[in-house]
Amino acid sequence: MTRYWFIDFTLCVSIILSVSSFGSDSVTYGQTISFNRQIRPILAENCFSCHGFDPKHREADLRLDQYEGAIRDIDGQRAISPGDLANSEIWHRIQSDDPDVVMPPPKSQRMKLTAEQRELIQRWIEEGAPYEAHWCFTAPVRPQIEATGREAIDHFVNAGLRRADLLMSPQAPLEKLIRRASLDLTGLPPTTTEIDHFLADSARDPEAAYTALIERLLQSPHYGERWGRWWLDQARYADSNGYSIDAPRAIWKYRDWVVNAFNADMPFDQFTVEQLAGDLLPGATESQKIATGFHRNTTINQEGGIDLEQFRVESVFDRVATTGTVWLGLTIGCAQCHDHKFDPIEQREFYQLFAFLNNQDEPTLKVDDPSYDQAQLAAEVRACEEPLAEFLLSHRQLQSDWESTLAEPALSKVHFAIKPLLTKPIAERTIFENSTVYASGPGASDQVFRALNEKFKAALELRDGGITTMVLVERAEPRRTTLFTKGDFTRPADEVSPGTPAVLHKYSQAAGSNNRLDLARWIVSPDNPLTARVIANRVWQQLFGRGIVETENDFGSQGALPTHPELLDWLATEFVEGGWSLKALQRTIMCSETYRQSSVDRPELRHKDPNNYLLGRQQRLRLDAELVRDNALAASGLLSKKLGGAPVFPPIPTSVMGLGQVKRAWNASTGEDRYRRGLYTFIYRATPAPSLNVFDAPDGQNCTTRRVRSNTPLQALTLLNDTSFFECATALTAIIDEAGVEAAFRRCTSRQPTADELKQLAGVDSLSVARALLNLDETVTRD
Amino acid sequence: MNELLLQTRRHFFNQCSMGIGGMALASIIASEERSHASDVALNPLAPKPPHFAPRAKNVIYLFMAGGPSQLELFDYKPKLQELNGQPIPESYIAGKRFAFMNTSNGMNLLGTRKAFQQYGESGAWLSDGLPCLGTVADDLCFVKTCKTDLFNHAPAKLFMNTGSGQWGRPSLGSWVTYGLGSECSDLPGFVVLQSGPRGPRGGAPLWGSGMLPSKFQGVPLRNQEEPIVNLSTPNAVNQAEQRKVIDLVVELNRQRLVETGDDEIATRINAYEMAYRMQSSAPELMNTSDEDAATLALYGIADPKEASFARNCLLARRLVQRGVRFIQLYHTNWDSHGGVGETLEDDFPKVVKQVDQPCAALIKDLKRLGLLEDTLVIWGGEFGRTPMGENREKSGRNHHIDAFTMWFAGGGMKAGTTYGETDELGFGAAANPVHVRDLHATILHQLGLSHERLSVRAQGLDFRLTGVLPARVVTEIIA
Repeated sequence: MTRYWFIDFTLCVSIILSVSSFGSDSVTYGQTISFNRQIRPILAENCFSCHGFDPKHREADLRLDQYEGAIRDIDGQRAISPGDLANSEIWHRIQSDDPDVVMPPPKSQRMKLTAEQRELIQRWIEEGAPYEAHWCFTAPVRPQIEATGREAIDHFVNAGLRRADLLMSPQAPLEKLIRRASLDLTGLPPTTTEIDHFLADSARDPEAAYTALIERLLQSPHYGERWGRWWLDQARYADSNGYSIDAPRAIWKYRDWVVNAFNADMPFDQFTVEQLAGDLLPGATESQKIATGFHRNTTINQEGGIDLEQFRVESVFDRVATTGTVWLGLTIGCAQCHDHKFDPIEQREFYQLFAFLNNQDEPTLKVDDPSYDQAQLAAEVRACEEPLAEFLLSHRQLQSDWESTLAEPALSKVHFAIKPLLTKPIAERTIFENSTVYASGPGASDQVFRALNEKFKAALELRDGGITTMVLVERAEPRRTTLFTKGDFTRPADEVSPGTPAVLHKYSQAAGSNNRLDLARWIVSPDNPLTARVIANRVWQQLFGRGIVETENDFGSQGALPTHPELLDWLATEFVEGGWSLKALQRTIMCSETYRQSSVDRPELRHKDPNNYLLGRQQRLRLDAELVRDNALAASGLLSKKLGGAPVFPPIPTSVMGLGQVKRAWNASTGEDRYRRGLYTFIYRATPAPSLNVFDAPDGQNCTTRRVRSNTPLQALTLLNDTSFFECATALTAIIDEAGVEAAFRRCTSRQPTADELKQLAGVDSLSVARALLNLDETVTRD
Repeated sequence: MNELLLQTRRHFFNQCSMGIGGMALASIIASEERSHASDVALNPLAPKPPHFAPRAKNVIYLFMAGGPSQLELFDYKPKLQELNGQPIPESYIAGKRFAFMNTSNGMNLLGTRKAFQQYGESGAWLSDGLPCLGTVADDLCFVKTCKTDLFNHAPAKLFMNTGSGQWGRPSLGSWVTYGLGSECSDLPGFVVLQSGPRGPRGGAPLWGSGMLPSKFQGVPLRNQEEPIVNLSTPNAVNQAEQRKVIDLVVELNRQRLVETGDDEIATRINAYEMAYRMQSSAPELMNTSDEDAATLALYGIADPKEASFARNCLLARRLVQRGVRFIQLYHTNWDSHGGVGETLEDDFPKVVKQVDQPCAALIKDLKRLGLLEDTLVIWGGEFGRTPMGENREKSGRNHHIDAFTMWFAGGGMKAGTTYGETDELGFGAAANPVHVRDLHATILHQLGLSHERLSVRAQGLDFRLTGVLPARVVTEIIA
């Protein structure tokens, strides 16, 4: 079916600019029309919203998403009479110029079908109007080819290029190759020593040198940081609750769990089960409980006057939609209010999935962490207590003046917890008591006090409460789940029980249960047509800038078709057969010639395949937000390579924190914590750190399966002027003064500068050179 | 401004042609033929043609954060005063949900203590808190039956700005800059200014770009320190050195462009040039010393250096003069529940006073400069207040979503009119309700954009500001 994919490729390329589905419109004579590739996209785009799966919005009782509906006799007419154009009503409708007759109708805001689209429909009807199940709902079949491993990848890519009369690009220069692999696997640039070793090894045996490089990088502890962040985007991770109050939360143990799981190459099926239902595993370990933080990364509204149930339901909606996006690559969230308009998912089925995720309590779990000892925590409290005590002492007069005004009725408004403290003379109160009182008076608007007090309280909490993380715990008695009419939680309708969409593989529950664990096991079932493809596609996307299915979060009928369907199926089956090992998958892909190509554009590619769908070269990609800074820190020698632990506070421009309703303290970390990787920067959802935000870092509002890569003046201002980056420039200046411009250039770009480039940098002061190097496009790009 | 753009463009292509290799040059020339593509390479927010002839070019959105009480400002209800203190008839509230309803005893009607009078030829009713606004009443178009879906601050603010109560959707300003770009090449196309005692609840997502690229998100201009985050050159660097660094970056990037043929590098080169221009244009914008005393007095600005709503209104006018597409002002503390700091008696009048004169001044100033015609001014909060009172410290009102007042001026709206009528208690619409979606559709329409066509494909759907439920352009309020 997909064998003739690229026969008329050049024609396709000019069309993909205007349609999202790859090459869907091309008419190619001498071969059978493919429903999935050529017809379904036209019907999905133009017809299904009124003549599709959703009966409530179906017009004229006609559905075109399935054969039986399309050929049904309605009042003596058939929309489609297979093989009989003249008696196919849709043929007359799409040809008509009469606004009352033409389809799609003018009121739908859709244009008349193009001549080419109409011709496709004509030929398809003449050929008998065969329907096919949408590709993603059929389990992948491993293509029968001789090549194995990385050669299989090249086989499929070369086949596509050959059809368009193109060839792969040569391998990237060695310096760029080690830079690319290092950035892709660890998010950090190679050191100059690593580059030198790689060059020397490659001179002896290039293949062995490259394989060893990939192996070394896969074993690096920074691998988990890089790929952990990839997963945290999807998990919508952040360190605060969101909405207007946006209070800090402790869930970084989950973040560390993710990083560790990647480093250990935890099989992806186990990785899935522990996150969705770790608490339900027999004899669940602490680590498995921490993993359930995945679905605690929803926002929490702490505003006054809210209906708690409303926002609990919102969070479950989010969990259903996120589960659908992350593991199934489907827009299941669309079925929250009505049957899905484009894919066969009923509203009832949305709520059946909802029922799995509706039965948990949401507590915090106290976690044992041997790296925190009690003496150290107590010392930390004392260290925070001291400046606070000093502050209070110097403001004692102000405090006692304020307290003396606290007679009725003003007293009645003071928080009830404060009142008993007021009866105690100021001098006899503990620092904690005094700061608590002061916080509800003059301290409320004093930023200096609030910063000191928040720090003190956080240290106290850590000492007395220990480290906690947010988890899911299944309730003994499940909640009753119903449909909500139009997704409105105040309008409950029919009761539903847990279940999965009928269009997908069979669901079987374990004896006596019907819970999240069964859902998780259903997702990682070998029969699942989606999950392995979806994840393999997203790994591919990370390594090439675009997935084989471009719409990485929608494999449904509105999504793009795979550019290399056989390759995708090969990768998916390879992934599962390899024990769901992500490292094995990445190793195979990265060892391919396809991956190792140069990213430099070529005239013939630009002409025939300007968007590089055929992969005739690698892709230059601007680094992700965190990596932009990580790389500046690494290039300038400032980077701390410390792994894990509580989030840190690198310097950010002052007053950023004042943009939300509640002004949160941001005490810039000192020492090593100032220079940790961006992964560890504290993420406030309402007031994200600007240097991450301008480079398109997600802020944990929604599940993010692909980052936007924008290119803006604010990014230039950040790299030029931000305190963090200027600190890097200063440090790099010292390196220039000591080791020369060439060394600094290599640290930033991983390659030797050309004579021309050195000439331009000659005679310029070291600081300007350092700043220019850190601002180069090449420095912030993986190419 | 356009002349300048053209010059920059010619300059860029001339410069490029000197050093650039065959293919990259060819690609740039080819892209110049698709003129918009090359405009975007020069200016990421280059203007784009609207869907149809627009009535307004720019927007100034005065967002009254917290939900101002329409019953103390615009919606005059003698009957409510008459029934002051009596329980609201059950028929009004059956099946309704409110914020705080379980905790505050707020089921008794509260008649306003404000005096109302009519202004101008249009005879618009305004309370005695708005004497200045009264002088421009004939320039305003009131909609008294605005209706929203959500009654908590952050979700309602998101809803008013993005058409969704959930995080992660593009805001109105982002949609507009996505649809139209901006006429200004040395300032962001969507600018946010804030005043009042705190930031608006909801924070940055209120001006976020959602699934649109981040170049469309609102950029807060700050009244303290540097106006844009990281705008100022580091202290240790002087202007000549900054320029030298940018020249080096541009030159080295240009060589890389030739080697790789990656258009993104051309975009980055131009981002650096625009960043450099912003470094002078943004402080120049914020420095109001070139405004004469009469203008400052018009806005009621005593100290031009002090951050205030009045100063932000003046800045909004200066931004419009520079061609910035969408300007949104947030003024906080309208949440008049009646508790400490939020009473209708003492605190509400202060907030009203902070905005009355500046709002009127903005209208007059825009009109005087011939800018009002092309500028759509919008005034309103995320919701209104209930006819029922709340008794806390003193009196207040609860959040109310069924009917509240917004007003518009300029931008092809029908001046001197009032649209929509509430029932005699001011609880709901008696005629012509206008949902937030209708407001969004109308605002886009005035800018020459169809709310049905302005969409972005994400997660398999075409997302629109107005979503999938019906929305209509309120033609009755369009001149």
